[in-house]
Amino acid sequence: MDHIRNFCIIAHIDHGKSTLADRLIQRCGAVDPREFRDQILDSMDLERERGITIKANTVSMPYTARDGRTYELNLIDTPGHVDFSHEVRRSLMSCEGALLIVDASQGVEAQTVANLYLAMELGLQVVPVINKIDLPSADVDRVMEEIDRDLGLDPFASIQVSAKLGTGIDDLLEAIVTQLPPPKGVPEEPLRALLFDAQYDPYRGALLLVRLFDGKLRAGTRVRFMHSGQEHKVEEVGWQRLKHIPVPELSAGEVGYVLAGIKSLSGLAIGDTLTEAERPAAEPVPGYREAKPVVFSSIYPMATDEYEDLTKALEKLKLNDAALIYEKDSSAALGFGFRCGFLGLLHLDVLQERLEREYDLSLILSAPSVRYRIVLADGSEVWVDNPTFYPDPGSIQESYEPYIKATIMTPERYLGTVMELCRERRGVETTFNYLAAGRMEVISQLPLAEVLFDFYDRLKSITQGYGSFDYELLDYRLADLVKVDILVNGEKVDALSQLVHREFARPRALRYCERLASTIPRQQFKIAIQGAIGGQIIARTTINAFRKDVTAKCYGGDISRKRKLLEKQKEGKKRMKMVGAVEIPQAAFVAVLKTEAPADEE
Amino acid sequence: MPPPSASRPGLYVHVPFCAQVCPYCDFSVLRGGAAARRRYVEHLLAEVPLAAADWSDPDPFDTVYFGGGTPSILPAAELARVLETCRRHLPLVDEPWTCLEANPEDVTPESCAEWRGLGVRMLSLGVQSFDDAALRFLERAHDSARARAAVETALAAGFATVSVDLIYGLPDQDEAAWRRQLEALVALAPDHVSCYQLTIHPRTRFGVAAARGKLRELPDERQAALFELTHRFLADAGWPSYEVSNFARGPEQRSRHNRKYWDHTPYLGLGPSAHSLAVATPTSARRFWNELRTPHWERRLAAGERPLEGEERLGPRELATEALMLGLRTAEGVDLDAFTQRYGFDLEASNAPLLVELQASGQLVLRDRRLVPTLSGLAVADGLAAAFTIPS
Repeated sequence: MDHIRNFCIIAHIDHGKSTLADRLIQRCGAVDPREFRDQILDSMDLERERGITIKANTVSMPYTARDGRTYELNLIDTPGHVDFSHEVRRSLMSCEGALLIVDASQGVEAQTVANLYLAMELGLQVVPVINKIDLPSADVDRVMEEIDRDLGLDPFASIQVSAKLGTGIDDLLEAIVTQLPPPKGVPEEPLRALLFDAQYDPYRGALLLVRLFDGKLRAGTRVRFMHSGQEHKVEEVGWQRLKHIPVPELSAGEVGYVLAGIKSLSGLAIGDTLTEAERPAAEPVPGYREAKPVVFSSIYPMATDEYEDLTKALEKLKLNDAALIYEKDSSAALGFGFRCGFLGLLHLDVLQERLEREYDLSLILSAPSVRYRIVLADGSEVWVDNPTFYPDPGSIQESYEPYIKATIMTPERYLGTVMELCRERRGVETTFNYLAAGRMEVISQLPLAEVLFDFYDRLKSITQGYGSFDYELLDYRLADLVKVDILVNGEKVDALSQLVHREFARPRALRYCERLASTIPRQQFKIAIQGAIGGQIIARTTINAFRKDVTAKCYGGDISRKRKLLEKQKEGKKRMKMVGAVEIPQAAFVAVLKTEAPADEE
Repeated sequence: MPPPSASRPGLYVHVPFCAQVCPYCDFSVLRGGAAARRRYVEHLLAEVPLAAADWSDPDPFDTVYFGGGTPSILPAAELARVLETCRRHLPLVDEPWTCLEANPEDVTPESCAEWRGLGVRMLSLGVQSFDDAALRFLERAHDSARARAAVETALAAGFATVSVDLIYGLPDQDEAAWRRQLEALVALAPDHVSCYQLTIHPRTRFGVAAARGKLRELPDERQAALFELTHRFLADAGWPSYEVSNFARGPEQRSRHNRKYWDHTPYLGLGPSAHSLAVATPTSARRFWNELRTPHWERRLAAGERPLEGEERLGPRELATEALMLGLRTAEGVDLDAFTQRYGFDLEASNAPLLVELQASGQLVLRDRRLVPTLSGLAVADGLAAAFTIPS
């Protein structure tokens, strides 16, 4: 076990985690140079494109150290965004150590701090890594000061690297071997293997990634999931290099994959503990907790015949995303779909993109909502995360909404605008602290609902990209809620209904109306778009009808061509949703629900 | 809608030659000297028996339409040979209603007399404009004086119907300028008028200019204004429209040939790019078309082959789609019951909210069980047709 090091990399978005992982893999020769492509761990297109790691991925690397011994380095990749802290937790639990990357010019960010605390809470040994030292703007001295003061870590234990150029990688590998502890665990004890990730392979079923804490695991063993109670016979175990390498046995301290002929995707809970059915462990690996969704949205297929495909796609994505929850939903305007719960807006965004790209689905998502607690006049209590089920206002005594504690880090020069943003979003008890020179930390208590609606984009915009943001849920507080409906030619589009704080109802409704007006193409007749609370219209826009589109000539040779054009047009309409006689393209729903960058940005 | 056998088929002959190719034209046209024209006629004569062998409709053709291009470029004797050959191989009524498209520069008392001798009843004049600047912009060979003279000559020659083609919606054309054109037209008092809004097709010189940003179609609002002006002005002057771009003094002056395209009456087309429709039953038809380019068309014929480029089968769905799309372009509109009876789709039942909306917004009226487009509806007839659902 002495030769094993299980570690992860903690970093803020864009601080170079994936590039660093690439260098480590390359240096260890875990991958043939011909097969090497940048950012190997970010296997999904989406991750490569956005430069963020969404799904934790993992890789084992053999490394011959300066002491002449060969070590098995298990790099457990962690996702890098605030929405994914549950995945971070699972990944961290599988490690004894962590590399904490700090950008040499940008310094310590809120995200980094949050994940560092998580790592410390779980007892991980942390090695600070200062990356991007090659940049002209790099300020290593300042960053070392921040590591000392803001993170409380020993700045002199930090390793300076440039992942891009490969500088310092050897020193870093040595630090992994010398500074991080080997795993503990007893191979003779009953099996305890933490399921920290799973992938779906269409040919082999579920591929489980596990970290063994105690015991041994080999093909033929009958295993039990300690939380779900499911039992399966192990078919194959092995190492997760860049390819899967079967081995006869995994032992305590090791990280590897398990195939157990699991065909059904549902019912697997990431974070569960595998044990031997014959000789079960007394306790599972601690720290398992269900990820709680805080953002809710309904997802509908654009074409109703894609409902089945959507069902299957969600089942598959659920396997790799323990935090995703969903149930059947239906809308008068959009037909059958699913009400889904997410950890945050990025989580929602990522799921949508994965469904569209990996499963080729065309989707409409309803306005994201938080979950409200509503006390009715008769004293009973209901939880509402879907405007459709908002009770009759007359029957409501009080409504409560979730509040968060937001921690925002920003350069000092943006302090005023950040405070102003918090105020705009109904932030209370907003305070600030000085961190290192020129850096501020703003703490504010905000309604989660106000953060859902383009808060992060606005923050990025007003701080020119320097602001970072993390949050935790606080409690529920009294809220003055109204339900805003959007009507198209008098018909309510239920998927666009929203629960909004009363003072924001009118501007929000107007913004929705305007966005719809700019994305619904002109049609045969004038279209009235209205925002309403109950029967009261609070916002209104119109789309004028088009006036002239008729083809001038239509004789023998023109008819087929014209009919085919018409058929194509009609085919395109299947991608439209009818509300009364009005055709609404998917783009309109997307535009309404999308956050909007202010005009001064890009 | 009458069953297809009630209407006799029409014969179309495409003459692809033009003295010069207009910058807006996307038809199959080419410039060709006398030798090329003679070669074309020989091939056309060869096509007739091949087409006839495949034409099983026993009803005689009661219209013949020489379109182009510029059919008036061909000597009358050549046209006569074509007609003769057609009569030899195809069933033709004794005096088919024959239409000839002519350019003003070809119209003289002598040529008119020759065409009358061939049995031409309708002469369709490609005037396009009575304004010299517009004619230069459209790169027409004639000037406005020649255009007026041609109309007067044709009217004096005793054709049953003299028709004038005009183009409107030129860039920068305002309502006053177009009204002057309409006034000039009305002063000449032809029997029939076709007013085509300028359409910029991609593979034309205008299309190229538009792609380079040097030419723009009029904005929607101004097109609509000109469209309405045209229809109102001509209706007031005694030429009500019977289709999007066609106006006639009375039902007798309407184009008997063109209406066959709009109600699925069979038609046979000869010459490059010509389209044909053979109707087997009310809900099954075959449309086929000739090679678009004259050299290809000739090569196929030289090899003794039928010069077809493609064909399609039309079932109830395709026919219904076309009937709706074409019907909504006409003053007669779509007869709901006849539509259901012929094609098996109940338009009314499957488009109830739409029908309410379209009537409320004044684009359609329901009159005598017919869906009739209003003037503003006619201006957006493409969108109207697209808005309807034909159930599956």
